[in-house]
Amino acid sequence: MAGPWLTFRAFLGAVVAVLGWPQSVAGAVDFVREVRPILEANCFRCHGPEKQKSGYRLDVSRIALHGGEAHAPNIVPGQPAQSPLLRFISGADAALRMPPKGDLLSAAEQATIRAWIAEGAVWPAAADTVLPDPLAWWSWRPLAAPTAPADGSAAIDTFVRAKLAKQGLHPSAPADAATLLRRVSLDLTGLPPTPVETAAFLADSAPDAYERLVERLLASPRYGERWARHWLDVVHYGDTHGYDKDKPREHAWPYRDYVIRALNEDKPYPRFVQEQVAGDIMYPGTRDGLEALGFLAAGPWDFIGHAEVPESKVDGKIARHLDRDDMLANTMGTFTSLTVHCAQCHGHKFDPITQEDYYGLQAVFAAVDRTDRPYYPADATNALAERLQRRQKDLRKTIQQTEAALGAQAGEAYAALTRRLEGMSRTAAAKVGNPTPDYGYHAQIAARADTLKWVQVDLGQRVDLAQVVLAPCYDDFNGIGAGFGFPVRFKVEVSDDPDFRQGVQLLWRGHDERFMADLPNPGLKPYVVSVEPEDAVAGRYVRVTAVKLAPRQGDFILALAELEVRTANGQNVAQGRPVQALDSIEAAPRWRRANLTDGRAPVRPSADELSQLRAERDRMLEAVAAPAVAAALRTQRTEATEVAAELARLPPPAFVYAAGIHTGSGAFAGTGASGGLPRPIYLLARGQVTQPLREVSPGAIASLSGGSARFSLPADAGEGDRRAALARWLTAGENPLFWRSIVNRVWQHHFGQGIVETANDFGRNGALPTHPELLDWLARDFRDHGGSLKRLHRQIVLSATYRQSSADDPRASRVDASNALLWRQQRRKLSAEEMRDAVLLASGRLDLAMGGPGWRDFVLERPEHSPHYRYDLADPVDPRTFRRAIYRFVVRSQTQPWMTSLDCADPSIRVDRRTESVSALQALALLNNGFMLTQSAALAERVSRERPDLEAQVGWAHELVLGRPPSAAVRGRLVAFARTEGLPATCRALFNLNEFAFVD
Amino acid sequence: MGHPSPYHRPIRPTPLTRRDFLWQAGGGLGGVALAALLGPEQGLAASGKLSGCLHHPPKAKRVVQFFMAGAASHLDLFDFKPELVKRHGQPSDFGEKVEAFQNGLGPWMRPFWDFRPYGRSGKMLSEVTAPLGAVVDDLAFIHNMVGKSGVHSTATLLQSTGFQLPGFPGAGCWVSYALGSENDNLPAFVVLPDHRGFASNGVKNWDAAFLPAQHSGTIIRPGAANPVADLFPGPGAGALRPGSEPATHALLAELNQAHADLRPGDARLEARIRSYELAARMQLAAPEALDLKSEPAHVQKLYGLERGPQAWAKEINEAEETFVFGQRCLAARRLLERGVRFVQVWSGNDNGFPRRNWDSHEDVKRDHGPLALGMARGIAAFIQDLKQRGLFEDTIILWTTEFGRMPSSQGGKGRDHNPFVFTNWLAGGGIKGGVTVGESDQWGFKPLDRANPTQVYDVHATLLHLLGIDHTRLTFRNNGIDRRLTDVHGHVLTGLLA
Repeated sequence: MAGPWLTFRAFLGAVVAVLGWPQSVAGAVDFVREVRPILEANCFRCHGPEKQKSGYRLDVSRIALHGGEAHAPNIVPGQPAQSPLLRFISGADAALRMPPKGDLLSAAEQATIRAWIAEGAVWPAAADTVLPDPLAWWSWRPLAAPTAPADGSAAIDTFVRAKLAKQGLHPSAPADAATLLRRVSLDLTGLPPTPVETAAFLADSAPDAYERLVERLLASPRYGERWARHWLDVVHYGDTHGYDKDKPREHAWPYRDYVIRALNEDKPYPRFVQEQVAGDIMYPGTRDGLEALGFLAAGPWDFIGHAEVPESKVDGKIARHLDRDDMLANTMGTFTSLTVHCAQCHGHKFDPITQEDYYGLQAVFAAVDRTDRPYYPADATNALAERLQRRQKDLRKTIQQTEAALGAQAGEAYAALTRRLEGMSRTAAAKVGNPTPDYGYHAQIAARADTLKWVQVDLGQRVDLAQVVLAPCYDDFNGIGAGFGFPVRFKVEVSDDPDFRQGVQLLWRGHDERFMADLPNPGLKPYVVSVEPEDAVAGRYVRVTAVKLAPRQGDFILALAELEVRTANGQNVAQGRPVQALDSIEAAPRWRRANLTDGRAPVRPSADELSQLRAERDRMLEAVAAPAVAAALRTQRTEATEVAAELARLPPPAFVYAAGIHTGSGAFAGTGASGGLPRPIYLLARGQVTQPLREVSPGAIASLSGGSARFSLPADAGEGDRRAALARWLTAGENPLFWRSIVNRVWQHHFGQGIVETANDFGRNGALPTHPELLDWLARDFRDHGGSLKRLHRQIVLSATYRQSSADDPRASRVDASNALLWRQQRRKLSAEEMRDAVLLASGRLDLAMGGPGWRDFVLERPEHSPHYRYDLADPVDPRTFRRAIYRFVVRSQTQPWMTSLDCADPSIRVDRRTESVSALQALALLNNGFMLTQSAALAERVSRERPDLEAQVGWAHELVLGRPPSAAVRGRLVAFARTEGLPATCRALFNLNEFAFVD
Repeated sequence: MGHPSPYHRPIRPTPLTRRDFLWQAGGGLGGVALAALLGPEQGLAASGKLSGCLHHPPKAKRVVQFFMAGAASHLDLFDFKPELVKRHGQPSDFGEKVEAFQNGLGPWMRPFWDFRPYGRSGKMLSEVTAPLGAVVDDLAFIHNMVGKSGVHSTATLLQSTGFQLPGFPGAGCWVSYALGSENDNLPAFVVLPDHRGFASNGVKNWDAAFLPAQHSGTIIRPGAANPVADLFPGPGAGALRPGSEPATHALLAELNQAHADLRPGDARLEARIRSYELAARMQLAAPEALDLKSEPAHVQKLYGLERGPQAWAKEINEAEETFVFGQRCLAARRLLERGVRFVQVWSGNDNGFPRRNWDSHEDVKRDHGPLALGMARGIAAFIQDLKQRGLFEDTIILWTTEFGRMPSSQGGKGRDHNPFVFTNWLAGGGIKGGVTVGESDQWGFKPLDRANPTQVYDVHATLLHLLGIDHTRLTFRNNGIDRRLTDVHGHVLTGLLA
């Protein structure tokens, strides 16, 4: 939606605020002398200059007369009876009395206010508070077009120098070649240069040596790996859900790989963003369009709040509200650097973002959940699959229409048959095969398949048996569905002894095939254990003992929907009888012992029966059809069969954990059953799900796009159209925040601080730009040249500003201690990832393989319920963990302790800039962690192998770690140390040096 | 806001002092090293708003928080309801539609243990919390705590961090950020997790989130082979010569100093040199602090540790709970005594089968019995021990859990979640003992006065108040918001102040 964006003229217009209430009546009540003191004394504490509860304040006439959330307008001039304010201060409604605590206003005070309202609520302009116009804020302004040299690097230097000159400052001298090489290599690729690369660069005296170096680094796949880390910090990517039962997300990583690939391909930034918000709609049939949607699902997800609490409950509503909040905060924070989530309970306190805007954004994501989405890594297959699915849908529609027309002529027999078929298909096709929520009996979860479990029914008296029938369960957990929990190996026994210690009869027919061999999942087909009269089996208790349990994901269970015990006359004598079991999860109503004999089990008519009836029905239709219509119908049916077959022939799809329409069972049903119909979204008073005020349609930030940002979508628009509309709104050329936000993020990672220090907040609570003209010049230039990030990097790192020395200058430091004006480059600490990668690079162990599931430096315990991520049990020399840190499996609830101590980003929060801390615990982690010790030994082993004597070995280790050979004095000192303490201790010391930990 | 122009950020006209630098560079050394760098007289410095002095004179210097993971039943431990005894087995009627987490709305169910009065206050305690009877006149109860959700994860986060979402600093992180440690050589905020593992949300309950990393809770496992991660060389240490640490530290100091000398004007380089000196000192201080065996026999006995560790049964049992919880309590005392600012002690693990926490859906007696006895014995010993050492007067003790349990039965022997009301209690520095500042209703279903419940914000506000901090003024800006431990809420609970 290329909405009516705030133009500069409109912006100027908005600045001129119209204030003041017409002083029309010379009333008897004097506002300043009589009314305001009452308000000041009684109301201002919560509704005044400091606090504005419910967004309401009584010191500003505009808000006092028109504002307030649930009850606006609170004051209706001339109509005291229609003014809610008077009702509140009267105390008539105990739940809404004002002030909420303490004494009410006196009768006289109430009368004064009533009279003032009756007389027209006259509010003299001189007694009004004028609020600053929220639109008069730098980031809301359209991009300015300052003039600058055409060459980007020269433009940067021009802007920076102009600011420096104003303070009487000068840029620092250029950094020396070795310093610059280490700096630009780490900044662009996250890896320091190797000694070979250093030697080559230092020896290259060509004038364009640095330019060629930059091109090489930008072209390296390492570039995408480095900058994807910055991106994933901002979007709070993780490989587990977070919260309670922090379960692994096995398919989150395709999004991480997408980001790396997109950056390496220098995908135009607007497209990069559009794919992440609505790739499935705007770029259908593409791998990138699907994998990119991992963005919306990147943040934490409350498993229990979704999987165990349905949307009908308050806790379930809260969980889903917070889930959408995360999606929209991530979207708006990442792409526009706005803190829209602050408008959840009331209008944004500082920025022109309304509650309407906030809930309009919630409505954009109203249909989606976080779910595994199938796709094909090959675009051609993706396109084919989507084409076939579309064709299948179209054919079904056409056939249905023809059939409906014919069916009307086919008479009552046809209608009866149709009804029967529909009833049967509904049962068969229903995702939830359970007609009622009492699924069955479910044993406690076991960690091993060979855990013994039993369940038995007490028939109340000794009974002669003819048949035992075990009905399987249906549960969609992990997509298992029919046959959920049906034992793989089991036996059935009968006894009069409830403990089955004596007089136990085995139902031996078929025993071997189900006890000695694995039974394939029976689906919903009941398993019948037969008893012949000559077996003469009788007893009071019938027990099923499983010796090999059904697998789930990583654990094992036993579940049965129904246990029937039939006598010779076919009667089920088990129905309603008590059930005992070794254990049971007893999660009523779905799972409990009593469900085993409640007479209810999921049913499915046989496929044969269904197809016979369908054929019969088709014949009836064709009989009444004109020959041409009958022929067409046959052709369509044939094609439908072919399409179905073709779909079945597609390879198994890959999955990405992304936003999408979820079709599930139980509490986490999603919107799949309704075909992805968006949930209604209401504006919530104080953000409380129990207080919906009115339904809100999808939209974005109204004040940014000229007063209206509701998306005008056609009535038949799908949920994806909402996301596509938001994606277009975000990436519009006129959206100043979008372009400023990204160039500022890139700038920040090259200079340690952004032009705007608060990269995630361009609002009034954020920082102001140090170089506003430069920011707008960069944003405009970036926008007008295809949104190429690599071009932006090139402009920055080729500038003299970037290439200057980081050395201190006490004179400049006195003027600008924080170096906001960039009179020098910023010395910075290595990030946790850079530290880890650089250690592995030096030791020679770094594995540069790209992509795929994250490597794990933990042992996963108890995955069946609440996984424990045991970093302490991992093997520090497992070579699988020697890949770059970007490919680490990122756990939310138990963050990697070593990385965390080095200020690694917390994957639960959106991190625009990492803190840089120094602590004793960090020193201990770098000295004593198993990773550091084993890599110190590995480096020692490497240099012993590659150099002949101790002196050379020590020098080589120094060069590998620090990028330069040691001075003679330091070499001597290190050799002496190595002689007494050994080479591994020497390497460990090198890894702990400040020179290694900082980049000049 | 105070910006002179809405379009330009002013540059800083004056040079940063070293202390300014430390806080602006994300907190610098903070806690552990701040006192060393700034001198002891400035050891209480924190954010700009709090620098150099507290908001008001403190009543307490340190905090211990006992957290019962899984939701401990107020009804079976501390909040006696005769009405439930009387109506036991009758169909429950809450007078309104109730959404219970697992629909555990069976008949009213009496407490599983008998209650008796204790102390001068005559406070009723259950058989399984009876050991606390010895100190009951020191405890101030809040029986009208309300939560926001009956989901363990969000409810636990709310009690530990003041927010329902992950990504906010724990209460101990804020205290560490504000006050630092009293002892250079130990962390300011220590967490003693349950020996079975972490509670719901794991480290999210105590990690620093947007505060500088050193304010995260440091995990210590008393009695374990490696009680503090990375305190000493871990796997791969075999490649090092034993006793090479002093030489290594000397080499690092020398080379780092030479490096820093060539780069004047960067306080971070010097700070990092100091951090290695502190690390070496912590290697001496931490093992000494955790040497529980050095305690005399009568103290060991007080905490129920005299028999030492055993081969415990698989299910939760009283002997094990008494030992492991007593061990954590004794470790907490030793750490607090040595200047640790905030100790968080956990009882119970996350959910799993069999139960290993307080989430007694199936069987209150089975889980709550041993857990409560172990907890009550340990805390009673802890309080008595603090008193005999003169530490009780300036230590705040907070007992909490994520929510309560329902007065109705779930499956006959269990209780479902009750986020609508539960119990906290406090004791120690600045707390008036023997009082109750909020009651639950006759069933223990909701607060007696529904319009005026107590929330975690109030408890946190009180905690900070006692430490000399105004909870509205301890802030840290993150993503556009001046974040507080108490969000935008919180009132000091004046009723329980001494």
